[in-house]
Amino acid sequence: MKAVEVVSLTYRYPDGSAALRGISFSLDAGERVALIGPNGAGKSTLLLHLNGLLPERPADPSAVTICGTAVVPAHFPQVRKNVGLLFQDPDDQLFCPTVFEDVAFGPRQFGLAGAQLAEKVGAALAQVGLAGYEHRPPHHLSRGEKRRVCLAGVLVCEPAVLALDEPTTDLDPRGRRELKALLRRLPAAQLIATHDLELVVENCTRAILLDRGAIIADGPPSALLADEGLMLAHGLERPHILAHAHPHRPQGAA
Amino acid sequence: MHIPNGFIDGKTALTTGVLAVAALAWALQRVRATLPPQRTPLLGLAAAFIFAAQMLNFPVAGGTSGHLIGGALAAILLGPAAALVSMSAVIVLQCLLFNDGGVTALGANLFNMAVIAPVVAWLVYQPVQRLLGGSTRARLVAAALAAWCSTVVAALACAGQLAWSGTVKGALAFPAMGGIHALIGIGEALITALILRAVAAARPDLLAEAAPARPAGLVVLGLLAAVGLVVFVAPFACAWPDGLEKVAAQLGFEHKASATPWFTSPLADYQVAGLTSEKLGIILAGLFGILAVFVGAWAVARMMKVRSKM
Amino acid sequence: MNPDFIDRYARLDSPVHRLPAGRKLALTLGLVLLVALWPGAAWPLFAAVAALLVALAALSQIPPHFLLRRVAIAAPFALGMALLALFQPEGGRIFLTLLVKSALCLAAMLLLTASTPFTDLLAVLRRARVPSVFVTTLTLLYRYLFVLVDESGRMWRARTSRSFSTGRAFHWRALATVAGQLFIRSADRAERIYAAMSARGWEEK
Repeated sequence: MKAVEVVSLTYRYPDGSAALRGISFSLDAGERVALIGPNGAGKSTLLLHLNGLLPERPADPSAVTICGTAVVPAHFPQVRKNVGLLFQDPDDQLFCPTVFEDVAFGPRQFGLAGAQLAEKVGAALAQVGLAGYEHRPPHHLSRGEKRRVCLAGVLVCEPAVLALDEPTTDLDPRGRRELKALLRRLPAAQLIATHDLELVVENCTRAILLDRGAIIADGPPSALLADEGLMLAHGLERPHILAHAHPHRPQGAA
Repeated sequence: MHIPNGFIDGKTALTTGVLAVAALAWALQRVRATLPPQRTPLLGLAAAFIFAAQMLNFPVAGGTSGHLIGGALAAILLGPAAALVSMSAVIVLQCLLFNDGGVTALGANLFNMAVIAPVVAWLVYQPVQRLLGGSTRARLVAAALAAWCSTVVAALACAGQLAWSGTVKGALAFPAMGGIHALIGIGEALITALILRAVAAARPDLLAEAAPARPAGLVVLGLLAAVGLVVFVAPFACAWPDGLEKVAAQLGFEHKASATPWFTSPLADYQVAGLTSEKLGIILAGLFGILAVFVGAWAVARMMKVRSKM
Repeated sequence: MNPDFIDRYARLDSPVHRLPAGRKLALTLGLVLLVALWPGAAWPLFAAVAALLVALAALSQIPPHFLLRRVAIAAPFALGMALLALFQPEGGRIFLTLLVKSALCLAAMLLLTASTPFTDLLAVLRRARVPSVFVTTLTLLYRYLFVLVDESGRMWRARTSRSFSTGRAFHWRALATVAGQLFIRSADRAERIYAAMSARGWEEK
């Protein structure tokens, strides 16, 4: 069973402009896929579709399927438990006044409480290297710590799919290294929207290039990122890390 | 305008508490019934915004500075019910976390700044902006007027509570609070209109969303506000002229006023001739006064409308 | 704004800190009600309360200068309003009573807030069946207060660093622009927060 299945997904912003045009792709269980493309390509919008935050009124029930479950309002609780969404700005995602409350927010919605809840929260915080941070208020945390708390709040629900929006922005080099290592250890399928091409090369087995709401290319990162013409045409660049790699055309370009 | 602990006696604390809780309960029920769920977090964020905006100081006069109350701003941006909830959250947090305003005066502070201020603002803003034609400019003028009225009326309610508690004599409290806040109100009016102009220029959709009028709810709120005002302000209304006369005498206006009575109030000293019950007379007079203010505001609005068309 | 100023000592380990938040809140409220609503002056009572508060403050292990500084910051508000009382018969006596009463209550409330994390007070409100919409609003207000104050500070600096006018009219306009932008950003953020809450299974109850 595919972890994520997207078939001819189309979405227009409320003002009528097209955001996604006929997107189709799928993720296998445990597969780590990068979503690259210039700003405004539709990456964040696509991620929001994975757990039904968009569109406001679902029109096509077969457009997005998570672990065999269609993303429609009746299935939202199950879908949202299965898809962990990490938002771009950690201050938006950390809406509770303490770290504990925030990490506990998801499991609480799914009915967990008491010692069981505390244990899960503790385990999730340990997983991201923040054991003992339970009582800290978010405004006392660094940017990197905030992002890790967000990740703990997502992981605590044990999602089968992670949708990550720019997970490495404004982390210092060490924070970035640690996050990348953590993401590689996680068993969940991951769709990572990012400009961090090192993250793509080091963590992902596949990359999807999105521009103006359409998939331009879908293939192994080494192939996609090494194609200098393709990268420059879509507002990206060939990363230095690939300086000595052999460029070749991406397979399965759409 | 935050009343500290010890300035309010038991009966005033209880009365204001009951009124504030009733208004808040109404607003919460209203918000739950009408606010779409995706706008629920906006209540908290708007409260944080008002709190931050209250930290903006503006110069008043003689080296003193005032700060925004934000009741009018909240009412116009969010509508009256949501404004009431957000403003209440601000007042409660200031009391419990920053010790600004006493716990025993929490009811009074809620009533003045979270109920009276946004409700009066809304009651002034809606009709005036409609009379002026509903353009952005009309809204800004209406907002400024609403902000000034809300500040002054809230200050008068505060003065009434201090007087009713026997802390400060009415003849002193009303002119002092009213006078200072007539000045502070100008700052509130300016800054409210300027902020709304900035919002309207960048995101007109945010202003339009908060505009739907709900007549039934306004009647309830207006009634609550009126009850409070009648309780706190009306009994002292008869003491007002004394204070004003005193000020007038000190300033040397007295002989002028008596020599040429160019305006004789039909409700002299807020007493209707022929009524035996003194209280009833005062209340009736108060209602006439409110009516007169409304008619006056309407006339002014009409005149401005004609002028702006020319 | 430095959030540390509020809850720096809220998580010490002392008998005062260990008292459950609900009971502490009830005790403080009782004390404040007694002092504030006592008709007129009762100096022996005031002295007793003051002694009790000093003892509790010592017991709480919160540095005295921290408490004193916070009293010094909050007290002038009461002073302004108390000054009004001076201008009437027996004003001096009323003025003094008001100052003592408000200072005692302030000290009691300060001791409560300095020794209790605000989140514990929120939990008390939730348990006391305060409507959830209101507690949620209070919680979000508390959480985003610091974010917004910092944000407005950054915007203000950005705005003033690019302008060379210092007139009063400029000051007002700049103030309003920053505040207007702050509201727009808050409204947008509220939408993103809703998305984040929904993404983690939140449903309106």
